[in-house]
Amino acid sequence: MKRSRWDALTARQPALFALILLVLSAVINFIVQPNMFARETLNSNMRVFLPIILMAIGQAIVILGGGIDISVGGIVSIVNTVLATRVGLEGSPDEMWKYIFVSLLIGLLAGAINGFFIAYLRLQPIITTYATSFLYAGLALFILPNPGGGIPASIAALYRDSTPLNLPLAFYVIAVFLLIWLYTSSMRYGRFLFAVGGKAEAAYETAVPVTMVQFSTYVISGLMAAFSGIAITMLSGSGNGEIGGPMTLNSITAVVIGGNAMSGGVGGVAGPVMGAITLGIIQNIISFANIDTWWETLVKATIIVVALAAPGIISIFRRRRS
Amino acid sequence: MAESLSARNIVKHYGGVVALSDGNLDVHAHEVVALVGANGSGKSTMSKVINGVVVLDQGQLLLDGNPIQFASPQAAKNVGISTVFQELSVVPQMTVAENIWLTREPLNQFGMVDRKAVNARTEELLALFEGTFKTDLNPDSSVTSLPPDEKQIIEILKAISFDPWLIILDEATASLDSRQVQRLFELVTKWKENGKAIVFVSHRMEEIFRIADKFSVLRNGRTVGAGNIKDINEKQLIKLMIEKESVLGFLRGEAKSDAKVEKEVSLQAENLTTESLRGVSFKIHKGELVGIGGLRGQGQRHLLHSLFGDVPFSGTVKLFNKEIHFKHPREAMKNGFALVPGDRAKEGLLYIRSILDNLLLPSWRRYGLPLNVNNAKKDATQTGSTLNLKMAGLEEPVSSLSGGNAQKVVIGKWLMRDPQVLLLDDPTKGVDVGTKAEFYALLNRLSDEGKTILFYSSDDEELVGLCDRVFVVYDGMIRTELAGETLTKENLIAASLGVAQHERATP
Repeated sequence: MKRSRWDALTARQPALFALILLVLSAVINFIVQPNMFARETLNSNMRVFLPIILMAIGQAIVILGGGIDISVGGIVSIVNTVLATRVGLEGSPDEMWKYIFVSLLIGLLAGAINGFFIAYLRLQPIITTYATSFLYAGLALFILPNPGGGIPASIAALYRDSTPLNLPLAFYVIAVFLLIWLYTSSMRYGRFLFAVGGKAEAAYETAVPVTMVQFSTYVISGLMAAFSGIAITMLSGSGNGEIGGPMTLNSITAVVIGGNAMSGGVGGVAGPVMGAITLGIIQNIISFANIDTWWETLVKATIIVVALAAPGIISIFRRRRS
Repeated sequence: MAESLSARNIVKHYGGVVALSDGNLDVHAHEVVALVGANGSGKSTMSKVINGVVVLDQGQLLLDGNPIQFASPQAAKNVGISTVFQELSVVPQMTVAENIWLTREPLNQFGMVDRKAVNARTEELLALFEGTFKTDLNPDSSVTSLPPDEKQIIEILKAISFDPWLIILDEATASLDSRQVQRLFELVTKWKENGKAIVFVSHRMEEIFRIADKFSVLRNGRTVGAGNIKDINEKQLIKLMIEKESVLGFLRGEAKSDAKVEKEVSLQAENLTTESLRGVSFKIHKGELVGIGGLRGQGQRHLLHSLFGDVPFSGTVKLFNKEIHFKHPREAMKNGFALVPGDRAKEGLLYIRSILDNLLLPSWRRYGLPLNVNNAKKDATQTGSTLNLKMAGLEEPVSSLSGGNAQKVVIGKWLMRDPQVLLLDDPTKGVDVGTKAEFYALLNRLSDEGKTILFYSSDDEELVGLCDRVFVVYDGMIRTELAGETLTKENLIAASLGVAQHERATP
């Protein structure tokens, strides 16, 4: 009886593992860096984490719908290079806002291309987005072959130093997106998303618009990647055609740690957000504890393996017992 | 609310296979129509035509006398036609309430799903089956955690949740217990009074005679009879389901069964039990060709797979009086067992690999290290010609072969190991008639050579024509054993349906 209650709890709260990891890593971080909750430190951490968090939100939606998006890093790179070359260090804030809008359109378009191939032409998500990731990354390098360019310092400062009510700007951004998720997931769309990711044939027989839902997840993911690209550009203040590449895998890791099933249909967005923060904190701990950076890879990898293997290991133990 | 639906002269092909050649059905409000027929007679296709899951090739659907076409399941739903699918259409990861109301969730003024309303309405639906649940079933239960019968009930509730006028129950009672069936029938009676129509697809004679008002019989894709259930009895109904003349011209080897008597027992099982088998015991002799019959999914596959060490079981199995208990197919293979699985694309073949690779997959070890590919090729070529395998070359991928030839590769890969015990899981499914005949000849030859063959088939005719004996499996047990004069199609179908065995079939 106890066991089934635990099952029910983990089924309803797939993010529990992420929460435990988050608290654990935060405690360790607090030990090595006692001022971590001071306003300045918190803000400087959160503004670094935010781009991955935004990307992980989009990735979470795609994975919930039964797909995966490997092209998000490329989209970030495009957005970064477009902003850095079109606005420039001397650009006006008006230019910046204009190109932020353009960036979002780029994200939507890139996501729509992925979605078209996957949902309408029924190509495999992992192959398709792997292919388009080169397309997008190549485009970014075409726009800006060598690191350079930038955005006005005033805009960068707005992102880096805003702390309304003494809280990091990132908190507000996260809160907004979580609220949007809470709302959409309680609409019919949310049910469709879980049904398509859970068992697409059953969803089809129940007259769920499967293709539309799949398409939409890639568009959302592209849009979130664009937000992520805007954030990382404001953070760095400059352009680099390869900036997004390493972020892709981190976004997938965040989703896995966040308790979403890679097969789709299980999880949410809050878990992946916590997962992304946890990843950032681990990086923090390692740089503060003065350990070699390969530890970071090792720790991350271990967490992923544990997160992925946990359900299998549990079921093996259960079989033994019965 | 509509009054009647008619299907007229429906034709439906799946690729080259004709599922329906002349399907007809009439359903009116206030009545329950039983749609009956043997395995593969087209019942499921018929219900899928009516509910818009498949698009018909020829023929006509009439709603209240007016022609109508369904391009999708949604189109059929829109006119009030609802289906309880045999392979459930529930999403396991979602809750009971989420599944039942999927696409029809009540929304509040902000477009959000009104959880309170959803739960309240789900409670109302669950109340219909109150008292028959083994678990503490509530709207928030996750469907994965439910036993099969309760999943089936959720599927039923989902189908009736939008108050359809026509409900198709496709094998809906197969996983229900008697109390749940009783409750369902009470509901069916009530729906009938309220002007609904029900199509009841079932194999269970007892249930058909209990609940149906009318019947419609399909045989080989044609509707061969329809009428009032009170004008017919079980025996007559079964007779309608059976083919009159045999299409296939194969026969058992002349006087073969006589020679069997003194042969030694090769394979013996006592009280074999698995998840879906409830104590199966049998003895098979050397050189005997034994069939396993019965409705689909009664445990036949588990029987073959447990003998092959693929599915854990309890009980005793003896091969030539030596106890064996395989825990892995590897052990079974070492002892001369071979299994031709039921799903050749998934379990039987590496589809994109070459014919050579597939044929040699179980026997590569024999060709040394490094592999003697030339010898391997020679052997493969020989097997290919024994089987009369039609191919462009050994290097061609299996995916280039037709269904029948692909199945030959599955059998060939085991023949290369010269197995002593051959287990076959519906090997002629989706195989053309010519290849079927070749298979029958091959099986006859193998049994003459002294191989022990255990052969599950969903084709009743094949079992009757080919096998020395047939075990009819029903609900995880060998219900009836048919041999010699009792091995007739009529008896086989009657036993499959769980009907007490009739006295010998009238000629």
